[in-house]
Amino acid sequence: MLRAEGLVKTYRAPDGGPIPVLKGIDLKVAAGELVVILGASGSGKSTLLNLLGLLEDPDAGGVWFGGERVNVLGRSARSRARGRFVGFVFQSFLLLPSLTALENVLLAARYAGRAGPTTRQRALALLDELGVLERRDHYPPQISGGEQQRVAFCRAVLNDPPLLLADEPTGNLDDANARVILESLRARARAGAAVVVVGHRPEAAEGASAVFRLQNGALA
Amino acid sequence: MPRTIVRALHSYAFTIAGIAIGVAGLVALGAMSERIVRFIEGGDHFVLGQISVAGRGMGMGAGFTAGGLLPATTIRAIAEVPGVAAVQPQVMLPLNPSTSQFMTLTQELVLGVDLSVPTPNRHYRTLPVRAGRFLREGDQRVAVAGAAFAASRGLEVGSRITLEGEAYEVVGVLERMLTAPDRFVIVPIADARRQWVAKDPLLRTVLASGAAALRAADLNTGAAVGWREGEDPDALARRIRERVPGVNAQIPSELSSLLRSSTAFFSSLVVGIGALGFAIGGLSVANTIAAAVFERLRDFGIKRALGATDAQLGREVLAEALGVTLSGGVVGVAVALALGVSIDGWAGRSGQQLFLFSPRLLVGALVFSVLLGAAAAVYATLRVVRLSPAEAIRRGA
Repeated sequence: MLRAEGLVKTYRAPDGGPIPVLKGIDLKVAAGELVVILGASGSGKSTLLNLLGLLEDPDAGGVWFGGERVNVLGRSARSRARGRFVGFVFQSFLLLPSLTALENVLLAARYAGRAGPTTRQRALALLDELGVLERRDHYPPQISGGEQQRVAFCRAVLNDPPLLLADEPTGNLDDANARVILESLRARARAGAAVVVVGHRPEAAEGASAVFRLQNGALA
Repeated sequence: MPRTIVRALHSYAFTIAGIAIGVAGLVALGAMSERIVRFIEGGDHFVLGQISVAGRGMGMGAGFTAGGLLPATTIRAIAEVPGVAAVQPQVMLPLNPSTSQFMTLTQELVLGVDLSVPTPNRHYRTLPVRAGRFLREGDQRVAVAGAAFAASRGLEVGSRITLEGEAYEVVGVLERMLTAPDRFVIVPIADARRQWVAKDPLLRTVLASGAAALRAADLNTGAAVGWREGEDPDALARRIRERVPGVNAQIPSELSSLLRSSTAFFSSLVVGIGALGFAIGGLSVANTIAAAVFERLRDFGIKRALGATDAQLGREVLAEALGVTLSGGVVGVAVALALGVSIDGWAGRSGQQLFLFSPRLLVGALVFSVLLGAAAAVYATLRVVRLSPAEAIRRGA
């Protein structure tokens, strides 16, 4: 489902000097696999996930979704590819504060042109499944971090994307909420999605198809 | 009120307020500008509608026809010039002679008109009466007050006013024209002649000495001359100068140019105020909208991460910008109107009006703010979508 070859990313320091972050990453994730990438803070895990999800351009290398090279597409085509193939779960949830929990979940469907009563029913069912149905009309600042992450998870899976990318999804959660989110990610993999989780907590690796460690810009 | 509208108002309250301030500034400055334009154009329209003739010499009267005495024989001579349709003798006097004669555009004037002759001015066949009636032939000791003149004295139809010691009944009040007649009090010419004699010790001395053979009909400060259909008014004015000795016939186009050059300062002020209004209002609107878009950098990054294309984001931002600028524009117009009406209510007690909120100004300000808001939104969106979603989320955090 997901293939990355030779991904290179270098940032610039304030003095203009290069900061190599990724030095040629190769990665393949098949449908139904749960791949966990562990690494210390600042090791480039989030950058790698951004490149895999087309949120950032690599300096070199390529990303393929289902056989199609997508990182070379135009800006809007990449946006459409993201909407069609990828669901994101971010460490800081990234819910829109001006929208209710339900509206946040429905946002992904809106841009994919799937808004409608069926999608709304599915969104409500997902919120119910994650235990936050009663929070559907609350705004993000009105609910806890754990509840926000559950809402964000519902948003990520609403379109049933074949690829789910989770960036330290339990980084801001207590143990109970972390367990709920990790279990939900595993369930998505069991349901056939390709799931990539980056983090630094070893428990994220439980039930993983493969576990990598990102060190010095390379996967080991 | 539906919940979504309350939420939208809450979310955009500061943006709408920022735009409202800009639009209010634009409309208020524009309304002051419109007021000055109306005043200048009104004078121009008036002088282009008639040929103003005065006797050659130093001014004995005041106003547009200031000049030497224009006796009845001269008026008859003017009437016989080919192309002349009508000549209306007039007496124009400053209400308060101590006021500087240079301030004729704003000073209060007594205008005496000969009601036996229809008003020859092509652009002002009749003056618009708000209440009561205009003067009629045969009227005596009655007056029609201009809007500002009436307002500053609280005059209404039936009120009495004393002019040079004589009581006059106000039989009409003119509509506000935002130009010279607003400060006129119009009386029959015989009454104006009496006032002139009462005002002017020199004239009284001349009349008492019997040195000049003057009759009442000779006491005219000027005359308004109308032309026949198809006649060139400038050519006719020159003809009057050639054929009637001792007169100063104003050439309408020259007088118009003169009036415009004498009001060049005001014209420059109008341009300056208008430019200032556009700059302040425009910058305020554009800056507020652009800032509102840049403020939501993180939101745009998230939306793009969720699959929003440039076109989808652009439509979204544009729709919001249009809604917000229109709301801000309407509020701004309302604020400017409230401010202007309040100030004019206060200024109106002394007969002044500082603002003119014309439909073209209000619609223009709304259209201008909406277009500018849309342009600012498009510009800001184009800047935002150039960033990668990850960069937008990082910068907006």
